[in-house]
Amino acid sequence: MRAEATQISALTAGAAHLLCFAGLAAAHGLAGRGALVSDPALALRLLVVCEAPIVIAVFSYLRRDAKSCSFFKAVARGLIGLPVGAFLNAFGAIVLGAPVGIKYWIATIYWSLVMSLFTFVPAACVFGASKIDWQNVLSHSIYFTPTDVENYMISAPCHGAVLGAWLGAWPMPLDWERPWQEWPICVTYGALAGYMVGMVVSLVLMTVHKRRVRAKAD
Amino acid sequence: MGAAVAGWTVAAVLLQVAGLSLFLYGFFPVKPTLRGFSGAESYQVPSCGSVSAGEQEPTLPPDQLRSLYRELSGIPPVYDRLVLMVIDGLPAEFVLGRGRKPPSKEMMESMPYTQSLLAGCKAAAYHAKAAPPTVTMPRLKAMVSGAIGGFLDVAFNFNTQAFLEDNLLDQLHMIGLKLVMLGDETWIKLFPTLFTRQDGVSSFYVKDTVEVDFNVSRHLEFELAATDWSVLVLHYLGLDHVGHIGGRRSVLMTQKMKEMDDVIRRVHTASLQDNLDRTLLVVVSDHGMTEGGNHGGSSYEETDSLALFIGHSVESPYCSPYDQKEALQVDLAPTLALLLGVPIPKNNFGVVLPELLNSLTDDQKLRMLELNSWQILRLLQAQVPAFCLEDCINSEGSIVLDILHGSIEKKLCHLLSKAFSSHQSSCLHRGSDFKSVKSGYYGTAADNYYGFLRYASEWLSHRATDKPFYLLVSAILLMTVSCLFLMSTVSCLFKARSLSQVDHHSESYLDQRWHLDEVLVLAGMFLYVISLGSSSFVEEEQYTWHFLTSTLYLIFLTKAVQSMLKGSNPTLGHKAEEKSFDKSNFSYATSFELTPGKRNVYKLCTILIVLVAGRVIRAWHQGGINWVHFPDISKLLAQADSSVVKSLQIISVLAVVVLFSVSLTLLRARPKFVIGVWLTHISCGFLVLLHIWANQISTSLPINHSTASIARQFYVIASVSISVTVLASPWVFPMFSTEAESASSGSSPVKAIHGIRNSLFLTGITYTAFWGLLQLLLQQPINAIPLFLIFLQTVSSVVHFSLDKTLHKQWVQVVAIHFLGMAGHFGLGNTNSLASIDVAGAFIGISSYSTVLSGILMFMITYASPLMLYLGLVLHVSVKDIDDISALQQLKWSYILDKMVTLPCLFPLLINSLALTSYTIVLLLMRNHLFVWSVFSPK
Ligand SMILES: [Zn+2]
Ligand SMILES: [Zn+2]
Repeated sequence: MRAEATQISALTAGAAHLLCFAGLAAAHGLAGRGALVSDPALALRLLVVCEAPIVIAVFSYLRRDAKSCSFFKAVARGLIGLPVGAFLNAFGAIVLGAPVGIKYWIATIYWSLVMSLFTFVPAACVFGASKIDWQNVLSHSIYFTPTDVENYMISAPCHGAVLGAWLGAWPMPLDWERPWQEWPICVTYGALAGYMVGMVVSLVLMTVHKRRVRAKAD
Repeated sequence: MGAAVAGWTVAAVLLQVAGLSLFLYGFFPVKPTLRGFSGAESYQVPSCGSVSAGEQEPTLPPDQLRSLYRELSGIPPVYDRLVLMVIDGLPAEFVLGRGRKPPSKEMMESMPYTQSLLAGCKAAAYHAKAAPPTVTMPRLKAMVSGAIGGFLDVAFNFNTQAFLEDNLLDQLHMIGLKLVMLGDETWIKLFPTLFTRQDGVSSFYVKDTVEVDFNVSRHLEFELAATDWSVLVLHYLGLDHVGHIGGRRSVLMTQKMKEMDDVIRRVHTASLQDNLDRTLLVVVSDHGMTEGGNHGGSSYEETDSLALFIGHSVESPYCSPYDQKEALQVDLAPTLALLLGVPIPKNNFGVVLPELLNSLTDDQKLRMLELNSWQILRLLQAQVPAFCLEDCINSEGSIVLDILHGSIEKKLCHLLSKAFSSHQSSCLHRGSDFKSVKSGYYGTAADNYYGFLRYASEWLSHRATDKPFYLLVSAILLMTVSCLFLMSTVSCLFKARSLSQVDHHSESYLDQRWHLDEVLVLAGMFLYVISLGSSSFVEEEQYTWHFLTSTLYLIFLTKAVQSMLKGSNPTLGHKAEEKSFDKSNFSYATSFELTPGKRNVYKLCTILIVLVAGRVIRAWHQGGINWVHFPDISKLLAQADSSVVKSLQIISVLAVVVLFSVSLTLLRARPKFVIGVWLTHISCGFLVLLHIWANQISTSLPINHSTASIARQFYVIASVSISVTVLASPWVFPMFSTEAESASSGSSPVKAIHGIRNSLFLTGITYTAFWGLLQLLLQQPINAIPLFLIFLQTVSSVVHFSLDKTLHKQWVQVVAIHFLGMAGHFGLGNTNSLASIDVAGAFIGISSYSTVLSGILMFMITYASPLMLYLGLVLHVSVKDIDDISALQQLKWSYILDKMVTLPCLFPLLINSLALTSYTIVLLLMRNHLFVWSVFSPK
């Protein structure tokens, strides 16, 4: 199988996730506690600045068609994918009811860039324009049928981030009058939490899948 | 099978209706209130039997009425002037302390003048317990009428908020006193014609704590100098606003209390200068506040309101001001009525407060208690028709024996007769020279009176608010059973269908695994039902619906993209795609011979249209009940020039007509009849335009005959053309003709289905388009664009579902359409509050007032969007996938009917019954917390 040849190990995947997590932690450290609530634009900007190079570099390194596509080409794909994914995410958020007032624009732009890093950019770096792989990212079949390690690595955190952001929007209409109920703070918290859960889930799925493959081989 | 399903469904719906009406009956007890106003008869012993003394006394001029009352009561009025100062939201704890302790030092120092009056025994103060809902308007009503309003009185007079029951202010007005009101405009809403001078301030801008009170106090100097008024109502909102912003411990609180104390000092000194000390100053609060500064519920903090009286009759040599004397808020009404010499309001169940009578003689006190008792007795007679004073006195001897296990009526009877007999014996000893004997008789009589009054008052207030628990539970059980019925019917249907599907297409394209959209529908419904448990989600339900709808359509979008990716992949989905394409040879897409690429573009575009339109509708009306102050497009337009709104209206009328014409071109066969329908639709659109134009010209005239006649013409043309379409369309499209032979292999069922489809399509599109025009006529001008957008959403989602029938299961499509309807319902500015019902549109085209007609119109306006989407379901049925039926060689009408009709009917029913049932359960659980009040009663 083709997968056997380019199969990356679960260890590599774990290291990649760890690097991404380190980016998040660095952004958190730079911004300080509670920065997301007090100044969401600043915190989100730091998040983009810290996370973008790491994500693009890591996933360009893990590109699928390593033979035919150079590292820099993958980086370029990621750089193009960043604004495209940001646009899609911003569209989704606004359609779901995110405010469009002028004072929210900056925060919305940074938020959608962060979401793009979680969802669109990894897939753009790894898959390029391969339609079948994109279709795999959109579907939820990876949770039922075994596929490649990359699919787990990309899909699970991506789904986690989107689902987390969706769930994070629920407390917004409550009348608790807390500062974190503002757009996009609780949505960002939800997305971050979902992203991390997704990373863990992808690692779990990988090991389960590996064991199954091994059992089959025996 | 079909008959059984229908039977079950009808049974479930009937059960649901029965359960709901039972619940409403239990939850909103209709307490009998007495109509009319108390008059001279309230100074006579109530007679037995005839409860409603029908004899209408000739209305006397105010002066005569006043002297008549004075003569009949036998007591001269204790006060001539009343200053009623309402401090909104002030908890009595701030002034009187709690639990036998005076308030904190800080609080004492913030009201120095009031505290000095209390300490000097020149004032009497009570913790006056307020009944929920602890929001301003019902509390003001309770204070002036002495009654707790029925739950539904908001619903019954939505048209006017004016207070029509018997109340203190109207009584005072009737004896010719002049009233002046400064402060919260709620008073003006309640009593629009009563005040000689008034200056209302709005409680809308909660952030403002200074101006709102300054606007009241600026008149104070003038009014205190003026001598023409007898009743001055001051309503200060600032303290409530301070609470809403910063809670009880706000830094602004002491400052605000100092300001209030200063007002009390000014009013009191002014009234002392005044001639003979004939002014009573009453300081009350309508409700308290929670620690966070909110109110509405029934906690101690919220119901703990203040009643403080300053005047000569409360002065006494000895007093203990921090004794925490308890009273009810409704006690204010009889007390003030008796002190000012007017009859007690008819529905009052308050009790005259003892400390207000300190300066009166014993006989006068007993007379006041007697008047209070007579009034309450009249109210009791209205509630318990058999209750009678004479019977009580006659059977006195026999009752004494079984008081302990007697009924409540008997106990009341006993207390009453005891009170009256002790009063009589006290009268007999009036001549007695021994002071101690006299006061002894007085003491027992007063005690007996208070015993009766307190007991009766408690019983009456319980009757007004008690909800029969078991009735509510059984009602909810009924509704749950009906919900389960519907669910089981639906699941039966699914089982049958999947069986038949296995029979006919074993390689069914729809795999058995759960799809994302199905999961979302189920999870979304679950989240929605859960969210009804939170009051803020109920208040802001529009967010939930919009969120769920948009998410569902976003998932449709990803599915469409996914199928696009799959379709363009040559190895994977090509076969399936081809197959489905081949099968759908009756769809409207094929009538244009769309290439797959174009189909995909259309698929994406229709969803994008729905999504964007939904977002615009959402932005049109922001905020339900809590957040009405959020900026949105409708408020912008309200400030803008009226010509902008008019042009938007005209644009949306034209757009609806154009969209209808475009949809008609989708019909492949186009007989003359269709053109006729089209022409009538255009003429109707023209009439709507005329109506808008006529309104533009004459906005000054309240009822315009030309606009009414235009509206009536519209009603006639629209109803005629709709009924003609429904009746004639089956005959226009040939069902069994030979003409369509070339379409397919030529079996008659196929042609029949084709005919049915065309006629259904025409019917559905005509329904929705005419409904859209009707709504454009009826709704507020601001809602024109959202209405068009909802119409657009309906059409484009139906088109989307027809483009690819294999993408979503049918029940998901039905649910999506229902979701759109609900999102649109809230998008048109409706909320769960009765206050948001638009009444103005209910009189368009009606020449004389008719409750039924305007009720129907109001229903149409309120449920415009869900009804439009239900009509859109007819359209949806016409384009949906029934090709597998045509694959069957034999014709099974029942099966076709089953497939086409049952699902679209059952799903909205199921969702509605689910929502209703959970809503009632929430109401039952929260019936004591009563957040419901804040939803149902305007703040
Ligand atoms: Zn209030
Ligand atoms: Zn308030």
